[in-house]
Amino acid sequence: MSETMPRRSRARTAALLAVVLLAATACADGGRGAGTAGSIKIGLLASLSGTYQAVGKEIRAGFELYLATHDGKLGGRQVELVVADEGNGAATAVPAATKLLKQDRVAALTGIVGGGSVAGVYPLLNETKVPFVGSNGRPELKDVSRIWHTSYLSDEPGEAIARHVRDNVKGSVYAIGPDYQGGWDELRGFTDAFVKEGGELANPGGRTTFTPFPTTTNFTPYFARIKASGADAVYTFYAGSAAVDFVKQYAQSEISDLPLYAAGFLTEGGVLDAQGEAARDVYSVLNYSPDLDNAENRAFVAAWRAKNDGSPTTYAMASYDAAAVLDRAIAAAGDDPSPQSINAAIGQLGQIASPRGTWQFSPTTHAPVQKWYLRQVRQDGRALSNTVVGDLATVGG
Amino acid sequence: MAVDTRIDPYLVPALDGVAYGLLVFVAAAGLVLCFGVAGILNLAHGTLYAIGGYTAAALLDGGWSSLLLALAVGTVAATAAGALVAGLLTRVAARSHLTQALLTFGLALVGGSLLVAAFGPDDPPVRVPAALDGSVAVAGHRYAAYRLVFIVVAAVLAGLLHVAVRRTRAGMLVRAAVDDAEMVAVLGVNPAWIRLGVLAAAGALAGAAGVLGAPIIGPGPDTADAVLLLSLVVVVLGGLGSMGGTLLAALAVGQIQTLGVALAPSAAPFLLFAAMAAVLAVRARGLATARRAS
Repeated sequence: MSETMPRRSRARTAALLAVVLLAATACADGGRGAGTAGSIKIGLLASLSGTYQAVGKEIRAGFELYLATHDGKLGGRQVELVVADEGNGAATAVPAATKLLKQDRVAALTGIVGGGSVAGVYPLLNETKVPFVGSNGRPELKDVSRIWHTSYLSDEPGEAIARHVRDNVKGSVYAIGPDYQGGWDELRGFTDAFVKEGGELANPGGRTTFTPFPTTTNFTPYFARIKASGADAVYTFYAGSAAVDFVKQYAQSEISDLPLYAAGFLTEGGVLDAQGEAARDVYSVLNYSPDLDNAENRAFVAAWRAKNDGSPTTYAMASYDAAAVLDRAIAAAGDDPSPQSINAAIGQLGQIASPRGTWQFSPTTHAPVQKWYLRQVRQDGRALSNTVVGDLATVGG
Repeated sequence: MAVDTRIDPYLVPALDGVAYGLLVFVAAAGLVLCFGVAGILNLAHGTLYAIGGYTAAALLDGGWSSLLLALAVGTVAATAAGALVAGLLTRVAARSHLTQALLTFGLALVGGSLLVAAFGPDDPPVRVPAALDGSVAVAGHRYAAYRLVFIVVAAVLAGLLHVAVRRTRAGMLVRAAVDDAEMVAVLGVNPAWIRLGVLAAAGALAGAAGVLGAPIIGPGPDTADAVLLLSLVVVVLGGLGSMGGTLLAALAVGQIQTLGVALAPSAAPFLLFAAMAAVLAVRARGLATARRAS
């Protein structure tokens, strides 16, 4: 048939094809982030596989929960959420982000678990001029004009709890953490503020002990050193399986009677179930706890429990807030929101009501100025849970 | 206190090194059997341990009967997995170690993904019997009760293994197959069956280690890699085919990982591999001089 098709007919077919293609490209050029009429495309990048998939899935669930409780709309526009897998780090995150930014042409990007992944995606964001509302990892970045975070900076938990530890521990405190960028930042945040407040570190020479990461699974030799140092309390930061090992072994070690203070990730989410009884009484500092008493949090926790098992984590809360930020920014960005107008609108948001309490973006770091809470692992019904026992400092900016 | 104050801080790490070393021994013994006897480099060995670990996490409920049940189920499951590896390896048994390594590494990746799919990405909690879920006083220090009991149990296991390899007919056949597989075949014993038996036995050891060791090296997405790495180090240090050498190497690894870290914390990241490099440089055959005809 095609061989016998008259020349004129073939020409007509070709012309028709050309018109269709032209129309398709014209549509694609019609506007970044524009889906079908009145809708907007948002990209969510998070670890759905690999080491950090527990955190990545919380981040996806948090964002989806906001959409589900707001008729699937942000700023009055139907959202087309494009989800991609960040994997274990920049090597997998960059190709996934390239697809979201260049092929799907999303109007804004959110999520990203690892700080290394954010650093890898950063040049792409500058190139495409798309705003990024991150909900977890935050590396050191030069220019944050299009980078926003609803989470925290790594040195803030330690900074927020330092004064409380100095006031409540009679004697010296031993600082120990994992030997990688996140661990250095978390521990430095504590030790700098703690020493400035007049606290005394039990570590020999005042130098924080860093354990090889992720290879350290047996902390007994370190506990022996802490015992020998004569410390009266311990401050630490671990996350994931290292947090489970640390807490379980601590509870059965010869320093189990020393109070344990930590950045909240030590007992946050799934790791608390794995630690079980061993985590009882551990103090931690975090920007969120599911038992916070405010209207936003009650609504958030109730909606979360209707869809998921257990209580929401700070990761899910930060992603829920990222959706709230985009909701308000898109609404404020005018009739035809572009990445530029959305980015400008985020900068004008001011106070943001959130399950964690009210917070706002710092004009310099673009990360939250927020209140931190002291929590303790206590019995809550049948399960152990992080219970808020007091307010700590407001930190950020 | 009677104990010298300079030694005192290192008592607990040294004791813990014994517990850790014995765990590594039970886990690595299977790999030594595999590699030394069947000539098969089974890179899925860590996955067999993880099967035991996840079984423990799923079945343990704080009672003694659940521990026995988990031990039985975990051992049987890992034995079956070991036999499955042997079956899949039948066609490439005569090929080079590289082919076997590729096949078993692929199996390890598949097995790891299946375990994560079945049990989730988080490290599951492991509940030891309530009577052991505490600490006891040892020379003025507190030490985890479970680990103390584990030392005894693992020492018994090591003794049984020694007797099995040295004194039983199966053990003799296995040792004979190491020395001269063809002669064993002439005697009317199919080397393929010995291979199947050894891989199944290695699975059983790894599974038992996984269940009993779950409170020490717990199940999780990284467990298989960690155990495989430690086992390979022990294989290198211990010299192939010798249970005595393996035990010595495992205890050394335990002390390096605990006492070594306590003595020289700044060197902790590379102590283990520095020790391995040193042993290899001094004595290419490992700590123990294994006599192995090749």
